[in-house]
Amino acid sequence: MSLHGGIPTAIADDVRHGERLEWWTLGWMASVVLVMGLVMGSSQAMKAAVIEDVLSLVPAIVFLLSTHWERKQPDPRFPFGYRRANSLAFLVAATALLSVGGFLAYESVTTLVRQEHPTVGGVTLFGHTIWLGWLMIAALAYSVVPPMILGHLKHPIATRIRDKVLHTDALMQKADWQTGLAGIGGIIGIGLGWWWADAAAALFISLSIIKDAIGALEKAVAELLDGTPRTLDSNALSEDGEHLTAALRARFGDVEIRLRETGRYIVAEVDRAAPSVIPTAAELMGKTLAWRLASLTFRPQ
Amino acid sequence: MKQQLWPLPFALLALAGCDSLPRDASETTERMARSGEMRIVVMPATPDAATALALLGDYAKRHDARLTRVSAHGEHALRWLEEGKLDAVVGHFAKASPWQVEVALSKPVGRSEPDDAKQPVLRIARRNGENAFILATDRSIAEMTK
Repeated sequence: MSLHGGIPTAIADDVRHGERLEWWTLGWMASVVLVMGLVMGSSQAMKAAVIEDVLSLVPAIVFLLSTHWERKQPDPRFPFGYRRANSLAFLVAATALLSVGGFLAYESVTTLVRQEHPTVGGVTLFGHTIWLGWLMIAALAYSVVPPMILGHLKHPIATRIRDKVLHTDALMQKADWQTGLAGIGGIIGIGLGWWWADAAAALFISLSIIKDAIGALEKAVAELLDGTPRTLDSNALSEDGEHLTAALRARFGDVEIRLRETGRYIVAEVDRAAPSVIPTAAELMGKTLAWRLASLTFRPQ
Repeated sequence: MKQQLWPLPFALLALAGCDSLPRDASETTERMARSGEMRIVVMPATPDAATALALLGDYAKRHDARLTRVSAHGEHALRWLEEGKLDAVVGHFAKASPWQVEVALSKPVGRSEPDDAKQPVLRIARRNGENAFILATDRSIAEMTK
Protein backbone atom coordinates (compact mmCIF):
# COMPACT_ATOMS: atom_id res chain seq x y z
CA MET A 1 0.00 0.00 0.00
CA SER A 2 1.23 3.53 -0.78
CA LEU A 3 -0.03 6.98 0.23
CA HIS A 4 -2.71 7.17 -2.45
CA GLY A 5 -3.10 3.58 -3.61
CA GLY A 6 -3.89 0.11 -2.32
CA ILE A 7 -6.15 -1.21 0.41
CA PRO A 8 -4.99 -0.92 4.05
CA THR A 9 -4.10 -4.21 5.75
CA ALA A 10 -6.60 -3.49 8.56
CA ILE A 11 -9.55 -3.87 6.18
CA ALA A 12 -8.01 -6.06 3.44
CA ASP A 13 -9.76 -9.26 4.67
CA ASP A 14 -13.14 -7.55 4.93
CA VAL A 15 -12.79 -6.03 1.45
CA ARG A 16 -11.94 -9.47 0.03
CA HIS A 17 -14.96 -10.93 1.86
CA GLY A 18 -17.11 -8.17 0.33
CA GLU A 19 -15.74 -9.01 -3.12
CA ARG A 20 -16.51 -12.71 -2.65
CA LEU A 21 -20.07 -11.83 -1.63
CA GLU A 22 -20.43 -9.68 -4.76
CA TRP A 23 -19.27 -12.58 -6.99
CA TRP A 24 -21.84 -14.78 -5.23
CA THR A 25 -24.42 -12.03 -5.83
CA LEU A 26 -23.69 -11.98 -9.56
CA GLY A 27 -24.00 -15.79 -9.76
CA TRP A 28 -27.17 -16.09 -7.69
CA MET A 29 -28.90 -13.11 -9.25
CA ALA A 30 -28.07 -14.39 -12.75
CA SER A 31 -29.79 -17.67 -11.80
CA VAL A 32 -32.77 -15.68 -10.47
CA VAL A 33 -33.03 -13.74 -13.75
CA LEU A 34 -32.89 -17.03 -15.69
CA VAL A 35 -35.61 -18.71 -13.60
CA MET A 36 -37.85 -15.64 -13.72
CA GLY A 37 -37.32 -15.30 -17.48
CA LEU A 38 -38.43 -18.91 -17.98
CA VAL A 39 -41.79 -18.41 -16.26
CA MET A 40 -42.60 -14.77 -16.96
CA GLY A 41 -44.94 -15.54 -19.87
CA SER A 42 -46.73 -12.38 -20.97
CA SER A 43 -47.03 -10.96 -17.45
CA GLN A 44 -45.92 -7.32 -17.34
CA ALA A 45 -45.41 -7.57 -13.58
CA MET A 46 -42.97 -10.44 -14.01
CA LYS A 47 -41.20 -8.62 -16.85
CA ALA A 48 -40.77 -5.62 -14.56
CA ALA A 49 -39.39 -7.92 -11.83
CA VAL A 50 -36.85 -9.40 -14.28
CA ILE A 51 -35.72 -5.92 -15.44
CA GLU A 52 -35.43 -4.89 -11.81
CA ASP A 53 -33.27 -7.94 -11.05
CA VAL A 54 -30.98 -7.17 -14.01
CA LEU A 55 -30.58 -3.54 -12.83
CA SER A 56 -29.84 -4.78 -9.33
CA LEU A 57 -26.58 -6.29 -10.62
CA VAL A 58 -25.16 -2.79 -11.20
CA PRO A 59 -24.03 -2.03 -7.60
CA ALA A 60 -22.30 -5.43 -7.35
CA ILE A 61 -20.46 -4.83 -10.64
CA VAL A 62 -19.38 -1.28 -9.76
CA PHE A 63 -18.20 -2.42 -6.30
CA LEU A 64 -15.91 -5.01 -7.91
CA LEU A 65 -14.64 -2.43 -10.40
CA SER A 66 -14.02 0.18 -7.71
CA THR A 67 -11.99 -2.18 -5.46
CA HIS A 68 -9.95 -3.20 -8.52
CA TRP A 69 -9.16 0.49 -9.19
CA GLU A 70 -8.58 1.20 -5.51
CA ARG A 71 -5.69 -1.30 -5.53
CA LYS A 72 -3.98 0.47 -8.44
CA GLN A 73 -1.01 2.59 -7.54
CA PRO A 74 -0.80 6.29 -8.47
CA ASP A 75 0.91 7.13 -11.74
CA PRO A 76 1.98 10.38 -13.44
CA ARG A 77 -1.46 10.75 -15.03
CA PHE A 78 -3.30 10.12 -11.72
CA PRO A 79 -0.87 11.17 -8.96
CA PHE A 80 -3.59 10.93 -6.28
CA GLY A 81 -4.38 7.34 -7.24
CA TYR A 82 -7.74 5.86 -8.09
CA ARG A 83 -9.40 5.74 -4.70
CA ARG A 84 -12.09 8.14 -5.77
CA ALA A 85 -13.35 5.43 -8.14
CA ASN A 86 -15.30 4.29 -5.08
CA SER A 87 -17.08 7.68 -4.93
CA LEU A 88 -17.92 7.44 -8.62
CA ALA A 89 -19.13 3.84 -8.14
CA PHE A 90 -21.30 5.05 -5.28
CA LEU A 91 -22.98 7.59 -7.59
CA VAL A 92 -23.58 4.87 -10.21
CA ALA A 93 -24.99 2.44 -7.60
CA ALA A 94 -27.29 5.12 -6.15
CA THR A 95 -28.49 6.01 -9.66
CA ALA A 96 -29.19 2.31 -10.36
CA LEU A 97 -31.22 2.08 -7.14
CA LEU A 98 -33.18 5.19 -8.12
CA SER A 99 -33.78 3.72 -11.60
CA VAL A 100 -35.19 0.52 -10.07
CA GLY A 101 -37.52 2.50 -7.80
CA GLY A 102 -38.55 4.88 -10.58
CA PHE A 103 -39.14 2.07 -13.07
CA LEU A 104 -41.23 0.11 -10.59
CA ALA A 105 -43.29 3.21 -9.70
CA TYR A 106 -43.84 4.04 -13.40
CA GLU A 107 -44.93 0.48 -14.24
CA SER A 108 -47.31 0.36 -11.27
CA VAL A 109 -48.90 3.76 -11.90
CA THR A 110 -49.32 2.96 -15.63
CA THR A 111 -51.02 -0.36 -14.81
CA LEU A 112 -53.36 1.30 -12.31
CA VAL A 113 -54.24 4.25 -14.58
CA ARG A 114 -54.83 2.06 -17.65
CA GLN A 115 -56.63 -0.51 -15.48
CA GLU A 116 -54.71 -3.28 -17.23
CA HIS A 117 -56.02 -6.71 -16.27
CA PRO A 118 -53.03 -9.06 -16.19
CA THR A 119 -53.50 -12.40 -17.92
CA VAL A 120 -51.92 -15.46 -16.34
CA GLY A 121 -53.11 -18.57 -18.14
CA GLY A 122 -52.09 -22.22 -18.17
CA VAL A 123 -48.81 -23.93 -18.96
CA THR A 124 -48.52 -27.58 -19.92
CA LEU A 125 -45.81 -29.51 -18.06
CA PHE A 126 -45.36 -33.28 -18.33
CA GLY A 127 -48.83 -33.63 -19.86
CA HIS A 128 -50.61 -31.57 -17.17
CA THR A 129 -51.83 -28.03 -17.67
CA ILE A 130 -51.41 -26.02 -14.49
CA TRP A 131 -51.91 -22.35 -13.68
CA LEU A 132 -48.73 -20.45 -14.64
CA GLY A 133 -49.25 -18.34 -11.49
CA TRP A 134 -48.03 -21.25 -9.32
CA LEU A 135 -44.75 -21.41 -11.26
CA MET A 136 -44.41 -17.63 -11.03
CA ILE A 137 -44.90 -17.77 -7.25
CA ALA A 138 -42.26 -20.53 -6.99
CA ALA A 139 -39.81 -18.46 -9.10
CA LEU A 140 -40.51 -15.32 -7.04
CA ALA A 141 -40.05 -17.27 -3.79
CA TYR A 142 -36.65 -18.42 -5.10
CA SER A 143 -35.82 -14.81 -6.06
CA VAL A 144 -36.41 -13.68 -2.46
CA VAL A 145 -33.93 -16.04 -0.75
CA PRO A 146 -30.48 -15.08 -2.19
CA PRO A 147 -30.86 -11.28 -1.78
CA MET A 148 -32.23 -11.69 1.74
CA ILE A 149 -29.18 -13.74 2.83
CA LEU A 150 -26.58 -11.78 0.83
CA GLY A 151 -27.93 -8.38 1.92
CA HIS A 152 -27.83 -9.53 5.54
CA LEU A 153 -24.18 -10.63 5.15
CA LYS A 154 -23.07 -7.46 3.32
CA HIS A 155 -24.43 -4.92 5.76
CA PRO A 156 -21.94 -5.47 8.67
CA ILE A 157 -18.98 -5.62 6.24
CA ALA A 158 -20.07 -2.36 4.56
CA THR A 159 -20.18 -0.75 8.02
CA ARG A 160 -16.71 -2.01 9.00
CA ILE A 161 -14.99 -0.94 5.78
CA ARG A 162 -17.11 2.25 5.50
CA ASP A 163 -18.09 1.32 1.96
CA LYS A 164 -21.11 3.19 0.65
CA VAL A 165 -21.23 1.15 -2.57
CA LEU A 166 -21.52 -2.11 -0.64
CA HIS A 167 -24.05 -0.46 1.67
CA THR A 168 -26.12 0.70 -1.34
CA ASP A 169 -25.88 -2.83 -2.71
CA ALA A 170 -27.29 -4.16 0.59
CA LEU A 171 -30.16 -1.68 0.10
CA MET A 172 -30.60 -2.97 -3.45
CA GLN A 173 -30.84 -6.53 -2.11
CA LYS A 174 -33.50 -5.33 0.33
CA ALA A 175 -35.34 -3.81 -2.65
CA ASP A 176 -35.00 -7.15 -4.47
CA TRP A 177 -36.51 -9.33 -1.77
CA GLN A 178 -39.23 -6.83 -0.96
CA THR A 179 -40.17 -6.63 -4.64
CA GLY A 180 -40.18 -10.44 -4.78
CA LEU A 181 -42.59 -10.63 -1.86
CA ALA A 182 -44.75 -7.89 -3.40
CA GLY A 183 -44.72 -9.93 -6.63
CA ILE A 184 -45.94 -13.04 -4.78
CA GLY A 185 -48.72 -10.97 -3.23
CA GLY A 186 -49.50 -9.59 -6.67
CA ILE A 187 -49.75 -13.01 -8.36
CA ILE A 188 -52.00 -14.28 -5.54
CA GLY A 189 -54.04 -11.10 -6.02
CA ILE A 190 -54.33 -11.80 -9.76
CA GLY A 191 -55.45 -15.35 -8.86
CA LEU A 192 -58.15 -13.91 -6.64
CA GLY A 193 -59.32 -11.64 -9.44
CA TRP A 194 -57.85 -8.45 -7.91
CA TRP A 195 -56.16 -7.03 -11.00
CA TRP A 196 -54.88 -3.98 -9.05
CA ALA A 197 -53.18 -5.92 -6.23
CA ASP A 198 -49.88 -6.49 -8.03
CA ALA A 199 -49.46 -2.85 -9.09
CA ALA A 200 -50.57 -1.46 -5.73
CA ALA A 201 -48.07 -3.65 -3.81
CA ALA A 202 -45.27 -2.72 -6.23
CA LEU A 203 -46.08 0.99 -5.95
CA PHE A 204 -45.91 0.82 -2.16
CA ILE A 205 -42.48 -0.89 -2.29
CA SER A 206 -41.20 1.49 -4.99
CA LEU A 207 -41.76 4.51 -2.73
CA SER A 208 -39.50 3.02 -0.06
CA ILE A 209 -36.84 2.20 -2.71
CA ILE A 210 -36.98 5.76 -4.09
CA LYS A 211 -36.59 7.19 -0.56
CA ASP A 212 -33.45 5.07 0.05
CA ALA A 213 -32.10 5.96 -3.42
CA ILE A 214 -32.55 9.72 -2.95
CA GLY A 215 -30.73 9.49 0.41
CA ALA A 216 -27.87 7.61 -1.28
CA LEU A 217 -27.73 10.10 -4.17
CA GLU A 218 -27.52 13.06 -1.77
CA LYS A 219 -24.51 11.44 -0.09
CA ALA A 220 -22.89 10.51 -3.42
CA VAL A 221 -23.17 14.08 -4.69
CA ALA A 222 -21.89 15.45 -1.35
CA GLU A 223 -18.86 13.15 -1.61
CA LEU A 224 -18.08 14.19 -5.19
CA LEU A 225 -18.40 17.87 -4.20
CA ASP A 226 -15.88 17.37 -1.38
CA GLY A 227 -18.54 17.61 1.31
CA THR A 228 -17.80 16.69 4.94
CA PRO A 229 -17.88 12.87 5.39
CA ARG A 230 -21.41 11.47 5.85
CA THR A 231 -22.61 8.38 7.69
CA LEU A 232 -23.48 5.21 5.74
CA ASP A 233 -27.19 5.17 6.45
CA SER A 234 -28.15 8.85 6.51
CA ASN A 235 -27.02 12.26 5.28
CA ALA A 236 -25.81 13.19 8.79
CA LEU A 237 -22.12 13.98 9.33
CA SER A 238 -20.11 10.86 10.10
CA GLU A 239 -19.04 10.12 13.67
CA ASP A 240 -15.50 9.31 12.44
CA GLY A 241 -15.25 12.80 10.94
CA GLU A 242 -16.57 14.49 14.06
CA HIS A 243 -14.19 12.46 16.21
CA LEU A 244 -11.26 13.52 14.00
CA THR A 245 -12.26 17.20 14.14
CA ALA A 246 -12.48 17.02 17.93
CA ALA A 247 -9.04 15.32 18.15
CA LEU A 248 -7.47 17.97 15.89
CA ARG A 249 -9.08 20.84 17.84
CA ALA A 250 -7.86 19.31 21.10
CA ARG A 251 -4.29 19.50 19.78
CA PHE A 252 -4.32 22.69 17.76
CA GLY A 253 -7.00 24.82 19.38
CA ASP A 254 -9.96 26.48 17.72
CA VAL A 255 -8.68 26.43 14.15
CA GLU A 256 -10.57 25.97 10.88
CA ILE A 257 -10.66 22.28 9.93
CA ARG A 258 -11.95 20.94 6.62
CA LEU A 259 -12.64 17.27 6.01
CA ARG A 260 -13.60 15.51 2.80
CA GLU A 261 -13.92 11.94 1.68
CA THR A 262 -12.16 10.13 -1.16
CA GLY A 263 -13.97 6.84 -1.38
CA ARG A 264 -13.74 5.36 2.11
CA TYR A 265 -10.79 7.57 3.16
CA ILE A 266 -10.84 10.91 4.97
CA VAL A 267 -8.64 13.81 3.91
CA ALA A 268 -8.15 16.56 6.50
CA GLU A 269 -6.93 20.11 6.08
CA VAL A 270 -6.00 22.26 9.10
CA ASP A 271 -5.74 26.05 8.77
CA ARG A 272 -2.44 26.59 10.53
CA ALA A 273 1.26 26.12 9.95
CA ALA A 274 2.58 22.57 10.31
CA PRO A 275 3.51 21.76 13.92
CA SER A 276 6.97 20.47 14.78
CA VAL A 277 5.50 17.06 15.68
CA ILE A 278 2.75 15.80 13.41
CA PRO A 279 0.35 13.40 15.15
CA THR A 280 -0.06 9.90 13.72
CA ALA A 281 -3.32 8.63 12.26
CA ALA A 282 -3.65 6.20 15.20
CA GLU A 283 -3.35 9.07 17.67
CA LEU A 284 -6.09 11.01 15.93
CA MET A 285 -8.49 8.25 14.85
CA GLY A 286 -7.71 5.43 17.28
CA LYS A 287 -5.94 2.20 16.31
CA THR A 288 -8.91 0.47 14.65
CA LEU A 289 -9.84 3.35 12.38
CA ALA A 290 -6.36 4.77 11.69
CA TRP A 291 -6.61 3.46 8.09
CA ARG A 292 -9.40 5.95 7.37
CA LEU A 293 -7.19 9.01 7.58
CA ALA A 294 -5.50 9.14 4.19
CA SER A 295 -3.79 12.52 4.55
CA LEU A 296 -3.47 15.45 6.91
CA THR A 297 -2.44 18.83 5.47
CA PHE A 298 -1.46 22.05 7.22
CA ARG A 299 -1.68 25.41 5.45
CA PRO A 300 1.14 27.88 5.62
CA GLN A 301 0.05 31.26 7.07
CA MET B 1 -40.63 -6.82 8.61
CA LYS B 2 -39.13 -10.34 8.56
CA GLN B 3 -41.05 -11.24 11.73
CA GLN B 4 -44.29 -10.30 9.98
CA LEU B 5 -43.61 -12.71 7.07
CA TRP B 6 -44.03 -15.98 8.92
CA PRO B 7 -47.71 -16.44 7.90
CA LEU B 8 -46.77 -16.23 4.19
CA PRO B 9 -45.77 -19.90 3.61
CA PHE B 10 -48.92 -21.03 5.42
CA ALA B 11 -51.09 -18.69 3.37
CA LEU B 12 -49.46 -20.05 0.19
CA LEU B 13 -50.07 -23.65 1.25
CA ALA B 14 -53.70 -22.83 2.01
CA LEU B 15 -54.06 -21.19 -1.40
CA ALA B 16 -52.32 -24.12 -3.15
CA GLY B 17 -55.04 -26.38 -1.80
CA CYS B 18 -57.70 -24.03 -3.08
CA ASP B 19 -59.19 -25.12 -6.39
CA SER B 20 -60.94 -21.81 -6.88
CA LEU B 21 -57.73 -20.09 -8.07
CA PRO B 22 -57.48 -18.39 -10.43
CA ARG B 23 -60.63 -16.33 -10.64
CA ASP B 24 -61.83 -13.95 -13.37
CA ALA B 25 -61.01 -10.29 -12.72
CA SER B 26 -64.29 -9.17 -14.35
CA GLU B 27 -66.34 -12.24 -13.34
CA THR B 28 -66.89 -13.61 -16.86
CA THR B 29 -67.66 -17.11 -15.55
CA GLU B 30 -70.03 -15.84 -12.84
CA ARG B 31 -71.84 -13.61 -15.34
CA MET B 32 -72.12 -16.56 -17.73
CA ALA B 33 -73.70 -18.67 -14.99
CA ARG B 34 -76.07 -15.85 -13.98
CA SER B 35 -77.24 -14.95 -17.48
CA GLY B 36 -77.10 -18.49 -18.92
CA GLU B 37 -75.21 -17.34 -22.04
CA MET B 38 -71.67 -17.15 -23.32
CA ARG B 39 -71.45 -14.34 -25.88
CA ILE B 40 -69.15 -15.25 -28.74
CA VAL B 41 -68.23 -14.03 -32.21
CA VAL B 42 -66.99 -16.33 -34.96
CA MET B 43 -64.87 -14.29 -37.36
CA PRO B 44 -65.79 -14.53 -41.05
CA ALA B 45 -63.81 -17.11 -43.06
CA THR B 46 -63.28 -19.51 -40.16
CA PRO B 47 -64.45 -22.80 -41.70
CA ASP B 48 -62.83 -24.92 -38.97
CA ALA B 49 -64.52 -23.05 -36.06
CA ALA B 50 -66.51 -26.16 -34.99
CA THR B 51 -63.76 -27.60 -32.75
CA ALA B 52 -63.33 -24.31 -30.91
CA LEU B 53 -67.11 -23.92 -30.58
CA ALA B 54 -67.42 -27.44 -29.14
CA LEU B 55 -64.76 -26.61 -26.57
CA LEU B 56 -66.45 -23.34 -25.59
CA GLY B 57 -69.83 -25.07 -25.55
CA ASP B 58 -68.51 -27.60 -23.00
CA TYR B 59 -67.34 -24.81 -20.72
CA ALA B 60 -70.66 -22.97 -21.06
CA LYS B 61 -72.55 -26.20 -20.31
CA ARG B 62 -70.53 -26.78 -17.13
CA HIS B 63 -71.84 -23.41 -15.95
CA ASP B 64 -75.45 -23.95 -17.04
CA ALA B 65 -75.04 -21.62 -20.01
CA ARG B 66 -75.18 -21.92 -23.78
CA LEU B 67 -73.37 -20.24 -26.64
CA THR B 68 -74.94 -17.07 -28.00
CA ARG B 69 -73.47 -15.99 -31.31
CA VAL B 70 -73.17 -12.24 -31.84
CA SER B 71 -72.51 -10.67 -35.25
CA ALA B 72 -69.52 -8.40 -35.41
CA HIS B 73 -66.76 -7.78 -37.91
CA GLY B 74 -62.99 -7.90 -37.53
CA GLU B 75 -61.66 -5.29 -35.17
CA HIS B 76 -65.14 -4.43 -33.83
CA ALA B 77 -65.33 -7.93 -32.35
CA LEU B 78 -61.92 -7.67 -30.67
CA ARG B 79 -62.69 -4.18 -29.38
CA TRP B 80 -65.98 -5.47 -27.91
CA LEU B 81 -64.09 -8.36 -26.32
CA GLU B 82 -61.65 -5.91 -24.76
CA GLU B 83 -64.57 -3.85 -23.42
CA GLY B 84 -66.30 -6.91 -21.96
CA LYS B 85 -69.24 -6.88 -24.37
CA LEU B 86 -68.18 -10.38 -25.56
CA ASP B 87 -66.73 -13.43 -23.77
CA ALA B 88 -64.73 -14.98 -26.62
CA VAL B 89 -63.86 -14.52 -30.30
CA VAL B 90 -63.11 -17.53 -32.50
CA GLY B 91 -60.99 -16.90 -35.56
CA HIS B 92 -57.65 -17.25 -37.30
CA PHE B 93 -54.93 -15.29 -35.56
CA ALA B 94 -51.15 -15.32 -35.85
CA LYS B 95 -49.03 -15.82 -32.73
CA ALA B 96 -47.45 -12.42 -33.50
CA SER B 97 -50.84 -10.73 -33.98
CA PRO B 98 -50.88 -7.02 -33.08
CA TRP B 99 -53.86 -7.88 -30.82
CA GLN B 100 -51.83 -10.25 -28.63
CA VAL B 101 -51.41 -7.60 -25.90
CA GLU B 102 -55.01 -6.32 -25.97
CA VAL B 103 -56.62 -9.78 -25.73
CA ALA B 104 -55.50 -13.22 -24.49
CA LEU B 105 -54.94 -15.40 -27.56
CA SER B 106 -55.02 -19.13 -26.94
CA LYS B 107 -52.60 -21.69 -28.37
CA PRO B 108 -53.73 -23.11 -31.75
CA VAL B 109 -56.88 -25.22 -31.42
CA GLY B 110 -56.48 -28.84 -32.59
CA ARG B 111 -52.95 -28.44 -33.94
CA SER B 112 -49.44 -27.55 -32.84
CA GLU B 113 -47.93 -24.06 -33.01
CA PRO B 114 -46.75 -23.30 -36.57
CA ASP B 115 -43.06 -22.44 -37.04
CA ASP B 116 -43.98 -19.14 -38.67
CA ALA B 117 -45.27 -16.78 -35.94
CA LYS B 118 -47.04 -14.73 -38.64
CA GLN B 119 -49.16 -17.63 -39.92
CA PRO B 120 -52.79 -17.26 -38.79
CA VAL B 121 -54.33 -20.44 -37.32
CA LEU B 122 -57.51 -21.22 -35.39
CA ARG B 123 -57.35 -19.69 -31.90
CA ILE B 124 -59.75 -18.44 -29.26
CA ALA B 125 -59.35 -14.82 -28.16
CA ARG B 126 -60.41 -14.16 -24.57
CA ARG B 127 -60.67 -11.02 -22.49
CA ASN B 128 -57.47 -10.19 -20.58
CA GLY B 129 -57.56 -10.95 -16.86
CA GLU B 130 -60.36 -13.55 -17.05
CA ASN B 131 -57.89 -16.11 -15.76
CA ALA B 132 -60.32 -18.85 -14.68
CA PHE B 133 -61.89 -18.92 -18.15
CA ILE B 134 -58.46 -18.60 -19.81
CA LEU B 135 -56.96 -21.49 -17.78
CA ALA B 136 -60.01 -23.71 -18.43
CA THR B 137 -59.84 -23.14 -22.21
CA ASP B 138 -56.03 -23.59 -22.17
CA ARG B 139 -56.56 -26.97 -20.45
CA SER B 140 -59.19 -28.09 -22.96
CA ILE B 141 -57.00 -27.07 -25.92
CA ALA B 142 -54.02 -28.96 -24.41
CA GLU B 143 -56.22 -32.07 -23.95
CA MET B 144 -57.42 -31.77 -27.55
CA THR B 145 -53.86 -31.45 -28.91
CA LYS B 146 -52.82 -34.65 -27.04
